[in-house]
Amino acid sequence: MATETSTSDGGESGRAGLKQNAKYYILSYPLAWLVFVFLAPLGMLFMFSFWVHVPGTGYTAGFTLDNYARFFTSSLYVQQLWVTVELALVTAVVSLLLGYPLAYYLARIDRPWLRNVLLITIISSLWITYVIRAYAWQVILASRGILSSLGVATGILGSHQSFYPGYWGLVVGMVYVFLPFMVLSLYSSIRNLDGELLEASKNLGAGPVRTFRRVTLPLTKNGIASGTALVFILALGAYVLPRLLGTPNQRTLPVLIEQQIMSESNYPFGAAMSVLLIVVMLVFLWALIRITNVSAANIGGAEGVTGEDETSTTSGPGALSGLWSRLGGVVAATGLSRVYGSVASAVSDRVEAVDSDTRESVIGTSFRVYVAAVMLFIAAPLGIIVAVSFTPEEFLTFPPGGFSTRWYVEFFTDPAWVRSLVNSLTIAAAAALLSTSIGGILAFTLDRFDYKFGSLIGTFGVLPILVPPVIIAVAFLVFFLQIGLTGTRTGIIVAHGIFYAPLPFILITQGLSELNRTYEEAAMNLGASPVRTIRTITYPLLRANVVSGALFAFILSLNEYIIAWLLSLFLVKTIPIQIFNQLRYSYPPTIAAASTVFILLTVVVMTAINRLSGGIWE
Amino acid sequence: MSGISLQDISKRYSGSVLAVDDIDLEIESGEFVTLVGPSGCGKTTTLRTIAGFEKPTAGTVHIGGKDVTDAPPYERNTGMVFQDFALFPHLTVHENVAYGMEADGGYTDEEIDARVAEMLELVELPGTGDRKPDQLSGGQQQRIALARALAPKPDALLLDEPLASLDKKLREQMQVELRRIQQEVGITTVFVTHNQEEALTMSDRLAVMNEGKFEQVGPPGDVYNEPETRFVADFIGTANIFDGDVTQTEDGYVSVDCGDVEVESTATRETAVGDDVSVVARPERFNFQSSTDDDRDENVFTGEVTFRRHLGSSVEYRIETAEGREVVVVRPSGLDEHEPGEQVTVSVDADNCRVVST
Repeated sequence: MATETSTSDGGESGRAGLKQNAKYYILSYPLAWLVFVFLAPLGMLFMFSFWVHVPGTGYTAGFTLDNYARFFTSSLYVQQLWVTVELALVTAVVSLLLGYPLAYYLARIDRPWLRNVLLITIISSLWITYVIRAYAWQVILASRGILSSLGVATGILGSHQSFYPGYWGLVVGMVYVFLPFMVLSLYSSIRNLDGELLEASKNLGAGPVRTFRRVTLPLTKNGIASGTALVFILALGAYVLPRLLGTPNQRTLPVLIEQQIMSESNYPFGAAMSVLLIVVMLVFLWALIRITNVSAANIGGAEGVTGEDETSTTSGPGALSGLWSRLGGVVAATGLSRVYGSVASAVSDRVEAVDSDTRESVIGTSFRVYVAAVMLFIAAPLGIIVAVSFTPEEFLTFPPGGFSTRWYVEFFTDPAWVRSLVNSLTIAAAAALLSTSIGGILAFTLDRFDYKFGSLIGTFGVLPILVPPVIIAVAFLVFFLQIGLTGTRTGIIVAHGIFYAPLPFILITQGLSELNRTYEEAAMNLGASPVRTIRTITYPLLRANVVSGALFAFILSLNEYIIAWLLSLFLVKTIPIQIFNQLRYSYPPTIAAASTVFILLTVVVMTAINRLSGGIWE
Repeated sequence: MSGISLQDISKRYSGSVLAVDDIDLEIESGEFVTLVGPSGCGKTTTLRTIAGFEKPTAGTVHIGGKDVTDAPPYERNTGMVFQDFALFPHLTVHENVAYGMEADGGYTDEEIDARVAEMLELVELPGTGDRKPDQLSGGQQQRIALARALAPKPDALLLDEPLASLDKKLREQMQVELRRIQQEVGITTVFVTHNQEEALTMSDRLAVMNEGKFEQVGPPGDVYNEPETRFVADFIGTANIFDGDVTQTEDGYVSVDCGDVEVESTATRETAVGDDVSVVARPERFNFQSSTDDDRDENVFTGEVTFRRHLGSSVEYRIETAEGREVVVVRPSGLDEHEPGEQVTVSVDADNCRVVST
């Protein structure tokens, strides 16, 4: 082993039992992917935004500001930019208001089986492709759709009417899609709250409303912050929902970008808009941080108690959560705690006259009704898709006029659908392997060796997933145009592999940090070489994390639409692409059958992950 | 069987902390040596240096006459029992115990099975091979950890506070058990603990460590009865310690002025008038006196009993003198009982006192 170098980190090398230089060889694998196949496309995207569009033939290298000028001189584009931001904000705020009570209920519920069922439902719906979920809302909101039929049947509506495309239909769809992220962020934060604190507050004479305002809310502001920031970022980059549920008035930036690429073939302008989207995101994040810092001092009740992960800003995921918690300070701090506070005290004034038992039971009942309604909102749309997939009729009707599996037969016998399914599975499996190799090796090297820029590299490792997929898509498109990988499955595999590498990275990093090093020392003490130790001890103890990471990447790749669509250049079709295309022209119930197969696949894999990791959601 | 030899071992961590400061230790084949000291004294670092988990900044480690200073842990043939046992949670008891022999590669399956059975017999847990570690109690896990360490026939057994996570009763039971097994196998053993009682009851020799150095190395009786430093006297057992200046030396006796009191002691070390020294007297060397007859060779203290507790076979008293000094006295149970609040006089013979370095 490292014989001549008995330096200060001799202990470290002795423990890892690997040669000094090995750490650089191993790191070079994930780093090469991240630098050459993640940073390079982003750099190229930036460069492309200054190139010249040549109508007809495409583009030529050069330098022009026309692409940016075109954007800012058009009132249409500037207005769409504002619509994009507004939609993201509205989505984040509505998600928070809907999500908090549900998350609170989930965290405090004392029936584990029920919590598991609800969590699995929420988490499974989280990963199902936006295409299917937007489709579900089309079915609900369409003229002669479920809502309209219900309205006519109950006499509320005089005649059938459609609730989409339109602004509020879109907001409902966006909230539906991003609410699970909010609920999970809040859930973990409320779950960490010590129940005794609430009892202490009540013991000191504070009623439920006061306890909530003075104890629960301030202590969960990190979750509020990270959830809100997460939903905001995700909504800002949303393409599928505005495209499928919005009118041309709600063409958000991602929709405009896609149009430039796929319809106009104007890559430089698409690149310029992508750069602008990144800038908008950064500006808003920066602004949110600024607002927090400025106003954090004068927010009643929100100061003083800091959250759980204030100290963990060294590693990659830590730095990320640090960022989120700071962002969150914003939201928690400013409007929302005040809104909650004033609503709460209004309620409390109103019910002050009634005796406390009645008051508690009124609050308790209305709370449960609210939670049930939100849960229904999350679960019902996919249930409806499953239900209508068994219709025997040529068109979607609700309720279905009978029971038939003809559309499943159609799905599994139509060569186009089968080809898409095979494409989807192949791409997802290969992308999962690639993601796991990049994320896993990066996690391992960063955990085992000291590098000068270790924490920076760690942050780098989680970066891909933070970039809106539409931007990843355009960046890879311009990159692959140069090396001839557009329109191939390999191209999509590489893009997905990089984009989802942070999931195995985070999961395996977490597994390594929880791994008791003494096991490895014990193995070496018993004569096991480093390789044998990794094979017989380290890997088996990490297996749940490694496999979960791979399955996560698999399920996300399987359900991904926009990256696959832009990189396919019409040549490769996956299931989400196929469904989306069909939605543009007609509504055969095959779509519902395909969606059901996909939902089932996703739920099975997510349940497997949960089993494997013994309650990873905790 | 083979001994362990540490020569001029120092370990400096990146920073500047000198965890181990130039220590030497010769451990004979089959000997049970305990490294004892407060946390942070360097005892665990020393053990980990023997195991190969730490590389010494200076010095050499020999196991069985072979220089292993640069050898990685897996080429040293030591068997270690860890504080939290470190039984592999994904492997059965059998697989845990077999692990070392499988890594060695030189055993057939039959030999491994036979050896595992033999080891489980040795630790009195036959038939537990199919269980997983989490199905065992703390004491059982401890025994399996020991069996696993001994199975590949190591040259030395290294024990890193293995009893610390057990409750008191089980710990005492395991002390006896561990010693029995060690003697049965006859293996050279290094045991690390911060518990001085454990160190006294188990070892052939103990090495008292403080700030990276050995304060004293010797058999338990010697270390307890003839401490050489104030630290050892204080750390091992209970001691009354009188710090002061030497005022007089004569006929093998020393007088020490401690401010409130003048203490006489046998001159257990070379001193000159004016030296800063400490005089040590163990509590059980004191007697109660009915009258204050002043003998030249006796140190006499008068004061009030402030605290009394029964220790079973003996009784401990704390007596506060008029000057505010507390003297601890331990007397056999059932003799001269005194009540808290009572004025008493106690004395200790100068021959029962020792002069040690401060």
